[in-house]
Amino acid sequence: MSEKRNISRMMDIRELKVKIGDKTILKGLTLELEKGKVHAIMGPNGSGKSTLSKAIVGHYDTEVLDGEIIYRGENIVDKEPEERALDGIFLSFQHPVEVAGVNNAYFLRSAVNAKRRHEGKDELNAAVFLREMKKYVEELGMQPDMISRSLNEGFSGGEKKRNEILQMQMLSPDMIILDEIDSGLDIDALRAVSEGINSMKNGDRSFLVITHYSRILDYIKPDYIHVLKDGKIVHTGGPELVAQLEEEGYESLGEA
Amino acid sequence: MKLSELRQSTASEILDLFGADESKISLAEELVKKGLPSKKSEEYRYADIESALSLELEFLKQSMDDIEPCDKLIITDGVVTHAPESVSVRYTSAIDRDMKHFDPLYYLGHIASEFVLALEPRGDESLKIVHRLTKIKTLIAYRVALFIAPNTQVNIYESFDDCSADGSLVLCGYDAFVDRDATLKLIKNQTLDSQNYRMIASHRFKIEKSATIDLATFDFGSASSLQTMKVELGERAHLEASHLLYASGSAKRGTVSKILHIGEHSTSNQQAKSILADKARGIFDALIKVEHSAKYTKAHQGSKAILLEMGPYMASKPQLEIYIDELEASHGSTTGQLDSKQLFYLRSRGISEVEAKKMLIQAFANELIDKVAGRSIQEQLHISFDKAFYGEARMECIDTCDGCEDALVGDTEEINRLFGFSQ
Ligand SMILES: Nc1ncnc2c1ncn2[C@@H]1O[C@H](COP(=O)(O)OP(=O)(O)OP(=O)(O)O)[C@@H](O)[C@H]1O
Ligand SMILES: [Mg+2]
Repeated sequence: MSEKRNISRMMDIRELKVKIGDKTILKGLTLELEKGKVHAIMGPNGSGKSTLSKAIVGHYDTEVLDGEIIYRGENIVDKEPEERALDGIFLSFQHPVEVAGVNNAYFLRSAVNAKRRHEGKDELNAAVFLREMKKYVEELGMQPDMISRSLNEGFSGGEKKRNEILQMQMLSPDMIILDEIDSGLDIDALRAVSEGINSMKNGDRSFLVITHYSRILDYIKPDYIHVLKDGKIVHTGGPELVAQLEEEGYESLGEA
Repeated sequence: MKLSELRQSTASEILDLFGADESKISLAEELVKKGLPSKKSEEYRYADIESALSLELEFLKQSMDDIEPCDKLIITDGVVTHAPESVSVRYTSAIDRDMKHFDPLYYLGHIASEFVLALEPRGDESLKIVHRLTKIKTLIAYRVALFIAPNTQVNIYESFDDCSADGSLVLCGYDAFVDRDATLKLIKNQTLDSQNYRMIASHRFKIEKSATIDLATFDFGSASSLQTMKVELGERAHLEASHLLYASGSAKRGTVSKILHIGEHSTSNQQAKSILADKARGIFDALIKVEHSAKYTKAHQGSKAILLEMGPYMASKPQLEIYIDELEASHGSTTGQLDSKQLFYLRSRGISEVEAKKMLIQAFANELIDKVAGRSIQEQLHISFDKAFYGEARMECIDTCDGCEDALVGDTEEINRLFGFSQ
């Protein structure tokens, strides 16, 4: 029976307890992410949303005290970050890091080719890679010089977010986590980014969208809304929950 | 013999030993007065000098051969064997040697060299100098004097052939005189591995009124070696110096420098970046001294080091000695590991930890490599760094890429530009 359930499941997070420093942030969080579905997480500041996303990708800040993260049938809590990435997990960071001196195209080609090697495919040569990168850069409305600039260095907030989406598109992951991809985006950027995300939907990929605003959800149409409060998922509902939250705030949603 | 045996010798004994004539007696006296360096010497406290001085060495009798025309100036074991026709090469024993140099091996280098090789470019010139070292277990001593004429600009790129002078000690260096309003740009690219020779390069740079020296040194590999330099800045003279070091194994390697601001409005900017692996020790022991006469000086100095493991050590000692109030000066020194946030970011995209570290180190190094002028020289430096660091050249993958013809971005130049290989 559980085997059968797993077929529709991309990720199963069970009773996850995570601490950062000496503070326990996630306090037994359980969440099931289905294949081909868009899950949105909303919740108050400091409730642990970014901590959850960091724990899934194995960020060194997070220490898993208890519980499991089952990704396609396998518990990944002890895997290295790069292994999780190669296996198809992608996190668009709330605050992407600037890396001076590392050329954006060189970085992204290294990442794409690492993944292709992992999948037993031939590496993309420089020219083919650049052709593809240029195409996405154009679609996302990014400046062409961002291809050859240092990775995120001096990029504006919105430009960094677009660069995250660019990486997502070129790496074509299976489990996509977007941590406040919409914050700080202007209207055009929000549309471009949302279109980028929607173009990745293929009935198989799963999305976990962390946001404070309904606007992006109008574009990318979540299947489920989860409310994270004080380290736990306290409520799960359909898209209609967004309107309720906007009106009543998180206070009304107490214990699960 | 071993050079350490000179510790007991008198000045005239030292001259006799090297077959040097009486004109060098003051050099020998100065050497005796300062004493051969030991690990107790101020300037050599971090270097591995005693093992270099206890190498068993043959002395080399240099003979001047005919000079073959070539696009490069090639110095083979201290003698010019090839030179471009445009450069005047002269052997002399009469140059204005610095009798106040801090480095005792500056004097020893002059005593042990039979002559000074004087280069006098006639006008603006770009010159490639190749040092070729072939004699094993030998003391190879030679001095090069550079006379840069007023109002000219001379660019020198010096490199070291894959040499086979294993077990040798090389004492060399420049006496460079940069005359009024002239500019000397000097780039040194040297990869040296532990089984190769040792080198102590002792330089003396004199920068006259409104003249500039732009010095960039690139030292890679696992061998111990040292460059010492004394720089004198006249009125409105400027020194721009950058030093990139990648040291591995048990190398003790780096720079000992004294920059003297003598003239008013003189400026200097010296930046060192060091990447240290294994049990290597990086050395940046650098004094800036601003004399009473050097009002309105601007002097900036910095050192950044990255330690790749727990084993290496950075001896970074930037020092300022100031005798006036009217100046602008800064110095700073940092030593640390790679940035963990950056490292994680790269790994979260599927790049292995080893590869991610390499990318960050490359980025750290690129800052100095990409600052030198001239694309082909930058490429040479990238290749040298990649070879020393990765064991192979990273750029080759682009040169050999196939399928470029049918791509939108077709030419290698464009591809290299976009990948940041050439800015
Ligand atoms: N590196 C850290 N060191 C110490 N505390 C941390 C660290 N990172 C996060 N925390 C704490 O963990 C808690 C949860 O933070 P987290 O970033 O997961 O919240 P969030 O739900 O994403 O909030 P927001 O909506 O503001 O982005 C907060 O109290 C935060 O202060
Ligand atoms: Mg957050």
